[in-house]
Amino acid sequence: MAIKKVLKTRWLRYSLFCVLLWGPYMIVSKLGAREIPAPTMQFLFTLGSLPVGLALLAGRRFKLEKERKGISYAILTGILSGIGGMGLFAAYGSGGNTAVITTATSLYPMVTVVLAVLFLRERLNWIQVIGLGFAAAAFVLFAY
Amino acid sequence: MQIPHWFWFAAVVLLFWGACGIFQKLATNYISAESSLVWLILGFILIEPFVYPGKSLLHYSKENILWGLLSGVLSNLGAWGLYVAMKSGGKASIVAPICALYPAIVVILAPFLLHESITLRQGLGVLCGLIAVVLLSV
Repeated sequence: MAIKKVLKTRWLRYSLFCVLLWGPYMIVSKLGAREIPAPTMQFLFTLGSLPVGLALLAGRRFKLEKERKGISYAILTGILSGIGGMGLFAAYGSGGNTAVITTATSLYPMVTVVLAVLFLRERLNWIQVIGLGFAAAAFVLFAY
Repeated sequence: MQIPHWFWFAAVVLLFWGACGIFQKLATNYISAESSLVWLILGFILIEPFVYPGKSLLHYSKENILWGLLSGVLSNLGAWGLYVAMKSGGKASIVAPICALYPAIVVILAPFLLHESITLRQGLGVLCGLIAVVLLSV
């Protein structure tokens, strides 16, 4: 009964919506990057991002918060994400196995966790420590 | 041990997307996640002059150009879905690990769409990676 209730929740539907789009996002990235160089793929990626950004803006009636710090951090996130995205397109373009590259690059939360410990003085919990162990195991298996 | 070529590019992704996690967190301390996604796209736009391909864009097949455009649509729509899921009462500790499972979709689709298969060792690596990313997202 409880499971049935969870399956009907809005948040689960949107979580699945996300995962069902991000998987194909990786597949189409690979398909494009086989021919198109990483910087050009990033150029196209941004053009593809624009309609979503405009739809979000329209949904908010073109009103956004004006907190300068938040805006600066978000823009910086976009720049860093774009550079990382070029790394992803380059990795796909280099001809490696798509499932392996996708899994390896999906492990970026391990860097976030380590940076959060170093710069935000957050503490690692034991689940994250085990996660880091599995991430290390994955990289060893991929590297050989 | 010979490190594969793609590994170095993947390292760039890990470093930059890993740092994104920190700045995204800092951004949402001040503005809503939805607003931050709009400003994040502005960050993408700021890179555009540096990656503008000029006329060379005309040399690529229309199909591949379409894949490039579609990657931007799917990525950002997915991110929007993640934010809506969290806004709709989903706990970050449950929503984030679900969304982090996207490589599983690739593992399932790649043999059919890309005609790629993985070795047993790679399969074990993918399994370890999926467990890791779920645990790290909790």
